[in-house]
Amino acid sequence: MDTILKLEHIQKYYGSEGNITKAIQDISFSVEAGEFLSIMGASGSGKTTLLNCISTIDTVSAGHIYLKETDITEIKPKSLARFRRENLGFIFQDFNLLDTLTISENIALALAINKTPAGVIEPRISDIAKRLNILDILNKYPYQVSGGQKQRCACARAIINNPGLLLADEPTGALDSHSSQMLLSTIQSINEQLHATILMVTHDAFTASYASRILFLQDGKIFTELYKGSDNRNTFFNKILNVLTMIGGGQSHVC
Amino acid sequence: MYAKLIFKNAKRSVKDYLIYIVTMTICVTLFYSFLAISSRYYKPDIGSEYNFTLLSDGMKAAVCIITLCLLFLIGFVNNYMLRCRQKEFAVQSIMGMEQKTVAWMFFAETLIMGILSIAAGVFLGMFCSQFITAMLLTAYGRSYEFSWNLFPDTVLLTVCFFVLSFFVIGIFNTRTIQKTKIIDMLYADRKNEPVLTKSRWILGVIILYELSAVLMLTAGIGKIWFYYDSRLAFPVRIMFWGNTVLPFATLLWSALRLLRKRKTGFYTLLPGLLIFSVLNAFTTASVPAFTNKYYLSWGAGTINQYLLFILIDLLFFICALISLTGSFIAAWKEKSPKHRYHGENLFFFGQIISKLNTTTKTMTLISITLVLSIFLFIAAPILVNWASGYLDIHSMYDIQISSRYNLVYEEEDLPRDDYQTVTDFLAECGMETAYDCTFHLYLPVREDFHNRMKYDFPVAAISLSDYNRIREMLGYEPVSLMENEFTTQWKTIATEEEQNSFLAEHDRVLTDAGELSLSVHSHYEEAIGETAYNTYTHVLYVFPDSVCRQLLPVMQNRYIITAETIPYPYALELEKAFTAEYPEQPTTGAAFSIRLSTLQINSTIAGNFILQSSMLYGAIVLMVICLTVLSLQQLSDAGQYRYRFSVLRKLGVEEQCIGKLILKQLGIWFGLPVITAIVISSVIISYFVRTISAQISAYIGLNALMLQMGATICILAVLLICYFISTWILFRNSIAQ
Repeated sequence: MDTILKLEHIQKYYGSEGNITKAIQDISFSVEAGEFLSIMGASGSGKTTLLNCISTIDTVSAGHIYLKETDITEIKPKSLARFRRENLGFIFQDFNLLDTLTISENIALALAINKTPAGVIEPRISDIAKRLNILDILNKYPYQVSGGQKQRCACARAIINNPGLLLADEPTGALDSHSSQMLLSTIQSINEQLHATILMVTHDAFTASYASRILFLQDGKIFTELYKGSDNRNTFFNKILNVLTMIGGGQSHVC
Repeated sequence: MYAKLIFKNAKRSVKDYLIYIVTMTICVTLFYSFLAISSRYYKPDIGSEYNFTLLSDGMKAAVCIITLCLLFLIGFVNNYMLRCRQKEFAVQSIMGMEQKTVAWMFFAETLIMGILSIAAGVFLGMFCSQFITAMLLTAYGRSYEFSWNLFPDTVLLTVCFFVLSFFVIGIFNTRTIQKTKIIDMLYADRKNEPVLTKSRWILGVIILYELSAVLMLTAGIGKIWFYYDSRLAFPVRIMFWGNTVLPFATLLWSALRLLRKRKTGFYTLLPGLLIFSVLNAFTTASVPAFTNKYYLSWGAGTINQYLLFILIDLLFFICALISLTGSFIAAWKEKSPKHRYHGENLFFFGQIISKLNTTTKTMTLISITLVLSIFLFIAAPILVNWASGYLDIHSMYDIQISSRYNLVYEEEDLPRDDYQTVTDFLAECGMETAYDCTFHLYLPVREDFHNRMKYDFPVAAISLSDYNRIREMLGYEPVSLMENEFTTQWKTIATEEEQNSFLAEHDRVLTDAGELSLSVHSHYEEAIGETAYNTYTHVLYVFPDSVCRQLLPVMQNRYIITAETIPYPYALELEKAFTAEYPEQPTTGAAFSIRLSTLQINSTIAGNFILQSSMLYGAIVLMVICLTVLSLQQLSDAGQYRYRFSVLRKLGVEEQCIGKLILKQLGIWFGLPVITAIVISSVIISYFVRTISAQISAYIGLNALMLQMGATICILAVLLICYFISTWILFRNSIAQ
């Protein structure tokens, strides 16, 4: 399989001389095309900083990040927006949907921004809506639908452009357990059926158990990694809990 | 501790309070500068022959009434500040501060800012009042010198007025803060847009318009019943039928539509009614326009009734247009996927439609207020110049005595008097006359004495020698006539068409002394005052003296130009003495009147000045209110906009595109009410100008009018651009990353 994302000795420091906070200290890893990777860690372990660096929202202090051969740390600020919309898809904890647009229009906006011809927009929306089971709410406004439906809409918007990498930041953070399960199944099916590469940041063991590989961060470094392999989800979940206990988070990280 | 917190807060949030301070300063500046001339200490050098008290009292009343509008603006800006600070109040309350204390602290902060604004406003007002003084002295024809004056009574009045209004609004705000739940304040900026439903008020507007259509229909039927005549000119007949058929068609169409679409109800009527309102406006507007042109015999009541209908039509048009704009854009979005899915258009449509749907009422009110403001701006100089042009023509002589025979039915009762009272009075006061001319006005044909038909009133005649004496008084060249010839003298208001058609029909005039033919120099247009003509006529015949001796003299006038201007008290006394001797309704029926230029100039200039400055003050106040409200409406939603634009950024939209989107959004937001107002007010103004076109060409002149309109448009454009740019900068800052 091809490597789609490669991080080489990433470091991220905050603050000025004499008062430096090392959020990320020398992290290197790579993600294969079609992989579902989860990054776990306690608060302050650097997982969100890492995601921000990969998503080009933040810059690194040292190191290189390659997405499909492109070194994103070298991209000029002016071209960053274009790079983001062409290569990355985002799912946020608080959905980030626009209240002024319907669910269908929210998805269409991502396509329109990417200069997709008007004629193909609507067929693509109904296609993706069918897959994510949101066909009947397409003409509703975000404030008229449930949290789970909103997040599935956000999912649809994130993958509609077939991005090289789908980034999810605590996607289940604002959902109840039932909606979380449904969403995670959706993300898993996106990964399996559409072969989308997904990088998900979470602190929740249950959420992480849907991934095929997990990187555990502690104090800005990779503490360990865990492959699902042929395990079923329950076994994998238990393994995750064991690692968390080793890190010191213990049961407090289990939601 | 709290005092320290208040000062710290005020110091820290000066930037947040910028809009508040600027708005308040503008209000105080306007208030102070216009009120300054009504101060007891204000002693402009307008000359001893004029009286100033009339002006200052009128000014004080006008300024105070218009300033009530400012209270609305102060309230609105305060409310905006309150919304901006809500989250902070919530945090303070959560920390344990009583909501009452929070409210009082906010009040103290706004008071500090308000007092700063008052100080700045009074200082700027001192500058601005110089413009007003300059305007005043120019009106009285005096030269102007810059002077620094701070009037204690005006300052006191300004401070009292604004502090009082701060207290009134402060008390309301304090109550609002105390009553609002902490949770609501905490999440105020995260609230969703209200559900997009059509506001109910448009329903009320539709019902009111239907009612006015009923009134129009009854008025139209009434007019046909009482005034219609098949011999009337074709356009007048169209006007009669139009004013009946169109309101009927409006009602019939609405009824049919409602029957067919019972479920959707009144809202579907709006587009059709919009078209009907335009058609109705044309037919109703033709009523006042045709009244003068075709000498229609209805009174001022009918004209006022139809002016009211025009007003209703225009107001409905604005309401319907703005309320439908959202639907137009939504329909355009639905119909054209090409535009809908082009770039960030979806986002743009969403922004505009949601905002338009929730703020239709505000937008409509802003448009209507802007129309009023633009109309005041343009109409003020027109009316003022009309009045002063009229004054120039009316007060050509220091003393102007005229008589009328309209109510005289016997020849022996005709006015014959040389007005000795005036001669005696002038001698008593020791005033010398430079020119003095007493003369008769004659009827060419004696039989016409009994002709009192309004539209066929006989033209009066003057003898050549009297005419030349008047011309000499006014510094014009004398004219000469051959035997059996006559010429004509015209009022300023008469149009060229009127002159030509009259002269073509009257190249010969039959008189009691034989027939006269029109001289080669057939007409003179130099102004000689409005009292030298017979009632309802715009022309005066000039006959040779030998002819006039054989005619019936029906009026006797006397024009005097004194060596020096008559002082104000003397003028008042003379007027009193004259009116005592020549009462307004004498038993003989002959009417006499005296016009003294001192009194006329004084009252006209004072009246003009009050009219001009109160109209301009009103126009500026309304304009500032509209633009501030427009600007704050956008900025107050900054919290939501920051979130929406951050979503766009996350979706990969470049900053450049976001900048364009903001510009487009603000363009629509400012453009819609401003363009609607400009279109509607230009229609109103062109109608107004057409209706009084004769007066404009007689007293103002087209070039002067264009110059004034140009200047007004420039001022409006500068104001609009200033507000637009500052809103744009603040908006961009508020949604910056």
